[in-house]
Amino acid sequence: MPSPEFQRNLLVELPHLRRFARALSGDAALADDLVQDCVERALKKQHLYDATRPLRAWLYAILRNIHISHWRQNAPWGHLKNIDDLEGFEGSVPAEQEHNLSLALITDALNHLPPQHREVLVLISLEEVSYREAAEIIGVPIGTIMSRLSRARSTLQRILEEGGTTVLRVVK
Amino acid sequence: MFDTIENWALHAFVDGELEGDEKKAIEALLARDERARKAVAAFAHQKQELHRAYSAILDEPVPAGILAAAKGNGRPRLTWALSLVAGLALLGVGSVLGLNIAQHFDQVQQASLANRALVAYQTFAPEVRHPVEVAASDEDHLKAWLSKRIGTEIKIPDLQDAGYTLLGGRLLAEADHPAGQLMYEDANKKRLTIYLTQNTGAKEQSLALADSPGLVTCYWRDGALAMAISADMPHDAMMSLAKNIYDQMDDKS
Repeated sequence: MPSPEFQRNLLVELPHLRRFARALSGDAALADDLVQDCVERALKKQHLYDATRPLRAWLYAILRNIHISHWRQNAPWGHLKNIDDLEGFEGSVPAEQEHNLSLALITDALNHLPPQHREVLVLISLEEVSYREAAEIIGVPIGTIMSRLSRARSTLQRILEEGGTTVLRVVK
Repeated sequence: MFDTIENWALHAFVDGELEGDEKKAIEALLARDERARKAVAAFAHQKQELHRAYSAILDEPVPAGILAAAKGNGRPRLTWALSLVAGLALLGVGSVLGLNIAQHFDQVQQASLANRALVAYQTFAPEVRHPVEVAASDEDHLKAWLSKRIGTEIKIPDLQDAGYTLLGGRLLAEADHPAGQLMYEDANKKRLTIYLTQNTGAKEQSLALADSPGLVTCYWRDGALAMAISADMPHDAMMSLAKNIYDQMDDKS
């Protein structure tokens, strides 16, 4: 049985897990499936959790592993689905939907990043984990984290600048 | 733009990874270098955009399914439930989830009927020289022989109206009981097979379709026979052909 304290702490982390999963996968339904799988696995593997370490980082690592195996199984369809989701968003979007547009734009931009760059960017720029934590979650040296982060940001910058012109054209 | 050390140091600065002298060095760089300032501003802007796109979720209520899972009483989702049913069916395990064991067993039998027909099709339909054991020229013998070995009277349907000519048939070895395969071919040399075996459980099963890549199989159990038609054709064409065959097999004349 999971300890009450572990469960309480787990509940606190759920919103952050959902945000991480959403940005990692770009798909709201898939993201919540990932979170649910992650939570179930965390409860099952509770004895492996080192209580001196941050719970959130441990959960991110579990969720990331589930996402990778899911992604390997479903990559072609996942990609098609993302394209479908975005279809038509470049058409006529009212200015008041700017938030949604920003979400679509950033999701589209993230979809263009290699998965190894995307996860580093999401962990550091959105979830704001330290470089060391990111290295532990992903299981690579800090130097690798920094070079992936740098490349992810360069690519994202280019896409956002190109997309920025699209936004201006669309909301005009 | 910057040498390597400064480039990663700018990221580290934005991400709050620098302290003391390292941090001061970057602050000094930013004071004198506009490109460095622009780069830092761009990285910070990306962070803002990511938060604007995704952070609203932090204030959303957590879906009930996730909450239940976190409280340790998550229910299996549909996909798991289905694979559980399939797993139990394969094991022949008893009445769980309100379905009885006979139902599970029937599902397995049905699946294996379509599957055995598929395997037989894949084995013999591509054969150029030896698609059949007994040729259509010996149709009467084929009918008598397969009837005897399968253990029940079979008919050889005439599919000329659908554009398929009988090539002949063969006996198939199966674990429980011999089966037969009839093979037909259309003008474009596309083949169709009929798999026939004894309906040992004497259960009725209406027409059902099973898809596999490049092949559709329609199968049923009626009276003493279990049958499966396999061909590469659209579902509606297969259903009408299967009904045609069903009627011919059912014809008591």
